[in-house]
Amino acid sequence: MQRRYRTIPDLKINESARAIAFDDSALACKLTSMGVLPGSRVEMIRKSPFGNAYYVKADGVRLALREEEAASILLEI
Amino acid sequence: MNGEGGMSPLKIALIGNPNSGKSTVFNQLTGLRQRTGNFPGITVEVKETDYRFPSGKEAILIDFPGTYSLYPTSSDEKVVAAVLANPADPFFPDALVYIADVTHLEKHLLLFTQLLDLHIPILLALNMSDSAAELGIKVNASKLADTFGVPVIPISGRTGQNIMRLTVELEKLLDKKDAAASRSFYNPTESEKQVIQAVQQNLGVENPYRALQIAHHAEWLPFLHPAEKETVAAITSTKNFHSLRAQVDETLERYDRFTPLSQAAVAQPPAFPNTPTDRIDAVLTHRFWGPLVFFAIMLLVFQAIFEWSAYPMDWIEGGFAHLSELVSDKLPAAWYTELITDGILAGLGGILVFVPQIALLFLLIGILEEVGYMSRVVFMFDKTMRRFGMNGRSMVALISGSACAVPAIMSSRTIGNWQERLITVMVTPFISCSARIPVYLVLIGLAVPAVKLGGILSLQSLVFGAMYVLGLLTAFLAGWAMKKWLRRREPSFLAIELPVYRMPLWKNVLLNVWEKVLAFISGAGKIILIVSIALWALSRFGPGDAIRHADQAAQEEARQMGLDTTATDDLVQQRRLEASWAGQAGKWMEPAIRPLGYDWKIGIALLTSFAAREVFTGTLAVLYNMGDAEADINDRSENEAKATLRERMKGEKFSDNGQPVYTLATALSLLVFYALAMQCMSTLAVVRRETGSWKWAFLQFVLMSALAYIAAWLVYVAFS
Repeated sequence: MQRRYRTIPDLKINESARAIAFDDSALACKLTSMGVLPGSRVEMIRKSPFGNAYYVKADGVRLALREEEAASILLEI
Repeated sequence: MNGEGGMSPLKIALIGNPNSGKSTVFNQLTGLRQRTGNFPGITVEVKETDYRFPSGKEAILIDFPGTYSLYPTSSDEKVVAAVLANPADPFFPDALVYIADVTHLEKHLLLFTQLLDLHIPILLALNMSDSAAELGIKVNASKLADTFGVPVIPISGRTGQNIMRLTVELEKLLDKKDAAASRSFYNPTESEKQVIQAVQQNLGVENPYRALQIAHHAEWLPFLHPAEKETVAAITSTKNFHSLRAQVDETLERYDRFTPLSQAAVAQPPAFPNTPTDRIDAVLTHRFWGPLVFFAIMLLVFQAIFEWSAYPMDWIEGGFAHLSELVSDKLPAAWYTELITDGILAGLGGILVFVPQIALLFLLIGILEEVGYMSRVVFMFDKTMRRFGMNGRSMVALISGSACAVPAIMSSRTIGNWQERLITVMVTPFISCSARIPVYLVLIGLAVPAVKLGGILSLQSLVFGAMYVLGLLTAFLAGWAMKKWLRRREPSFLAIELPVYRMPLWKNVLLNVWEKVLAFISGAGKIILIVSIALWALSRFGPGDAIRHADQAAQEEARQMGLDTTATDDLVQQRRLEASWAGQAGKWMEPAIRPLGYDWKIGIALLTSFAAREVFTGTLAVLYNMGDAEADINDRSENEAKATLRERMKGEKFSDNGQPVYTLATALSLLVFYALAMQCMSTLAVVRRETGSWKWAFLQFVLMSALAYIAAWLVYVAFS
């Protein structure tokens, strides 16, 4: 089945996409309170030196997210 | 902390998101007068201060931990939610100052609108107005004030701009309590309304939004009775109330409402894509350069607490030695003089000697936090450290621990997750600190032959290095084991903001240093002083007349041998220590430590070196009749005193079978013991302070001692 969305780990460096939803309520609670919202433009900046974490910009705000946190944000294709 | 009886004083809390510059504003308002304490029962730090308004009205100003939302995801945020859900809480504020970063206003209003619904008088301070002006951001404050119905003041915590106006408006706000009760921001859904009504009726909660908060948080709110928790649980389950989903929906609904309001009041130029922060981060978080720069910085930190702080530490030690001499010259030779010199002054010196290390470490960490670098460290090392139950910030504690565990453990305060902080606190003392160096030097010189492997690599240096590796490996292994044992009590997140790099504000940095030094002296100092006096008493007094007899016997013996005054003194000192309670205890515990290859004299040194590890060598110097060399022996470098001590150690024989005490096996066993054992009362005192209870300090002591005992025994068996 074709996925209807992407997540941050799918993005290339400096690529950005619009967030559409979250797939985990607890993480959604955390991320929305920090200003990552459905409709936010999320840009992938770089991976962490030892992997497993992402440096992203959400509407211009710089954030560090773990793999599972980053993967819980569903992005439009 | 708050007034007892009668009128309780007015309380005003500063509140806002992390990185809103809230603490800078707090420092602007208060300066040196602030006190640091803990919220009752938990280890979340709170700062407060007595504040006097220009009119003379008095209040207590409280700095709440940085919070994104009343739906908490960390222990800091839980504290804020719990205080605000309970008007009877001693920290419940009469008014709030909301600090928002005006350069990201639409990200900073979520918590603000939640607070509006709690009907506490509130004032909106638009912080970083100076940066906003530089970025070309124009804010219409009066429009925002009309929109939200609260006073709105553009300020700058960094420059102090409008801080006076803030206090004037704040005082006016305190007289207008009624205005706050009339406004509401969020419209609850039908299902939420039902839950709110039921909670209001059953628990007698007045404010609707507080009732909703209680419905969400009842399970862990500390002030609710079990019966009340059951009532709320029954309400939420019969009304089919889905807490997490409702939280997210409410949050999104709030954003939908305030985003257009904030956009209407803020004129923002299009963002520049490549700011200095991005260019700096391209290096500092680079997959190769990032860690390299970090280790270079940590080398500097290590250098500062290991090398630079040695000078002021020498002055302090020298000063106390001088003072001690002065006291023994002026006062008669009696037990109370020794109490002053060897108990009290030694204890006070033992406390103050940590101050340079603590001050320097927190100066450097403070700068790194202030500029915004520490969150990058967390980002880079999150994965590595999480495996071992810790946090990227734990790196700083572990590296500082190689100089001294005391400031290192204090540095773990900045770790937000309680479990990660606890594990960091528990494993940091495994890292070989500088107090172990004299012990290592003496023992390695004794056990390891001074040969060079392949003509270049000294075997002794190799073993010295191996001791550090042993400590580091044990720390990580212990972290991993603790993580397995504790499991997860709260969900762990990385999700942190990486703030824009800024020049450090020296006022913030220095206040932080001052506060940490004070916290150490008042929190751990008392314990260190008491233990120091107790240890002195143990080695000064003995059962019955034992000390007097030992004294006389030693004098007699010295006369017969024709010793000079110094040699006589050394002999008397030795015999008195052997006869003291500590000496007795050493003899009693010999059966317990014999399996490790130790005799009762080593037992005495194990006991006395609980004051600090380097006391081990000093005590042995006394026991092996070279008392005057005590000072030189604790030096961090190889020297004559250490060589002499080693000669004496080689001559030591077990009293029962006449076998030499210090075989290779015993020396290696002692090395391993000192690498792993919790032989430091100051560390325990700091652990007690940082974890808020004796439980963890005691557990750490027992576990580390048990581990050290078993490992030392294994080494002894393997090598003998």
